[in-house]
Amino acid sequence: MEKKLVEISGLSKSFDDVEVLKDIHLYINENEFVTLLGPSGCGKTTLLRLIAGFEFADAGVITFDGRMLEELPPNKREINTVFQKYALFPHLNVYDNIAFGLKMKKMSKEAIEEEVKKALKLVKLEGFEGRNIKTLSGGQQQRIAIARAIVNKPKLLLLDEPLGALDLKLRQEMQYELKEMQRALGISFVFVTHDQEEALTMSDTVVVMNDGVIQQIGSPIDIYNEPKNKFTANFIGESNIIDGIMKKDFLVEFEGKEFACVDQGFEKEEPVDVVIRPEDIELKLSQGLINGVVDAITFKGVHYEIIVMVEDKEYIIHSTDPKEVGDKVSLHFEEEDIHVMVKSDA
Amino acid sequence: MRKLRIIALPYLVWMIVLVLVPTLLILLLSITDLDIYNLGAFSFVSDGFAELSKPLVVEAMKNSLRLSLLATLICFLIGYPVAYYLANLKTSKKTMLITLFILPVWSNMLLRIIAWETLFFPNSILNMFGVSLNLIGSDLAILIGMTSMYLPFMTLPLYSVLEKMDHSLIEASKDLGASNVQTFFKVTLPLSLSGVVSGVIMTLLPSMTAFALPERLSGGKTLLIGNIIEDYFMKTSNINGGAMISIALMVVIILLFITVIHFDKEGETLI
Repeated sequence: MEKKLVEISGLSKSFDDVEVLKDIHLYINENEFVTLLGPSGCGKTTLLRLIAGFEFADAGVITFDGRMLEELPPNKREINTVFQKYALFPHLNVYDNIAFGLKMKKMSKEAIEEEVKKALKLVKLEGFEGRNIKTLSGGQQQRIAIARAIVNKPKLLLLDEPLGALDLKLRQEMQYELKEMQRALGISFVFVTHDQEEALTMSDTVVVMNDGVIQQIGSPIDIYNEPKNKFTANFIGESNIIDGIMKKDFLVEFEGKEFACVDQGFEKEEPVDVVIRPEDIELKLSQGLINGVVDAITFKGVHYEIIVMVEDKEYIIHSTDPKEVGDKVSLHFEEEDIHVMVKSDA
Repeated sequence: MRKLRIIALPYLVWMIVLVLVPTLLILLLSITDLDIYNLGAFSFVSDGFAELSKPLVVEAMKNSLRLSLLATLICFLIGYPVAYYLANLKTSKKTMLITLFILPVWSNMLLRIIAWETLFFPNSILNMFGVSLNLIGSDLAILIGMTSMYLPFMTLPLYSVLEKMDHSLIEASKDLGASNVQTFFKVTLPLSLSGVVSGVIMTLLPSMTAFALPERLSGGKTLLIGNIIEDYFMKTSNINGGAMISIALMVVIILLFITVIHFDKEGETLI
């Protein structure tokens, strides 16, 4: 079984009467890539800063490698951070930035030189030692920030939206490289982002947060396919969320029709939220159980986004097969594409 | 840019008439027997150089250097923590405290010097509390005077640099294993160097050239170079000698500046 590196229990934090984190329970395994995902203001960065030691919790404990973290100031934790805007030292060159942590550990000059070289090689910036930080591009600064952190061989690397300032192409490249790096180094990463695609691509485990509360913890596939509530379903990818009633196990009613589904364990006649992903709906020009009219169609590159009005409710459908505005269509989906969730107010 | 030049013109004229011309005049006076009250024919003389080696002048130059460097150091040691504290304050208190800090600058400097003077005499209002400072004539009196006059000029440039500093750099330093003390010397201080340099210049310059302050607070015991120059011009009317000492003072100050600016690699200091 995986060994737990970080255990967080009952963690709460307020800033001036505003509760930013509410009773957080979470653990991070060794060698795990965990993403904290949520909209801005959901508390994900605060949680990261608590692990790093830049903030102190009002309640709850964090243990790291079996030790209570509270007793340790940030400089004594075997944790390093890649900051949102990199926070590279502008008065030091690339070499001295990366060597900063090693110099604090009083390593020998030769050893430092070797480690810095290795780190630069890992981030693919060999030969950049003497460069001034200000002459580097955003992507290069980002890599130096990562090199500066991992050169210290932390057991846990915290990354605070490190890809936010990069353009799309570079961001996708870095996503891949970060994942590779994490595998190669064999250390745990905690990655904070508001970008659901980033979270799904890179993570072993995604922690979805909103309003200081953890909404769902799971693998990217679980989070996408089995969202636990409306918030997660909406935040992770686009969704059609429909009011429904659970008739009995494996049978749900919505849009006035009954559908077989794969969900169970609800009360009889319990009101529920039903999620159907836009790519799981197929449109046919014949009449069926749910009928509507095409209201709009937008070309998105790989697929078309088609808005279908069923009475006065909008459905989003992703399809490679275009339709005309005004077409009378029927909506079709398989029983495993229907996801039933407990009704939430949000 | 060409159009903008016209905006700078008034200041340029001002600088030429009131700074450049007088400076050149002093330079001329230092090496000629020109009579400033009766401009006309003049010849070059080298008497002025002899003044520079007179014991009184050398002594005064040493006093000025020693006291102004000390005052600058004291201002730095007091001003840096204050600036750091102010820079890290939450906004509501900040404005009020900074205003309090600048407030003394709004009152006349000579008045403040005289105020110190009256406190430093053996008989002062402080006798009410059974205290008699009796500091007039001591170096301490001059240092207290200089420090209180010039402290805001040290603190404000430091404050403006520290306030703009990215706090995440300090967090990054601690994150990488540096203690608070290490973080200060490796990150905070180096990054505020431009403020230190401006502060040092703003403090060093007025204290090197001070003459009213030492005159009032030293009771005539300690002569600073400013007093010597004043005496040459106003009391003994040795214009040539006074001008030469002024030029020497300028050279010393320029040398000091070059040394100080050398520390600011970024060249961001605003002089």
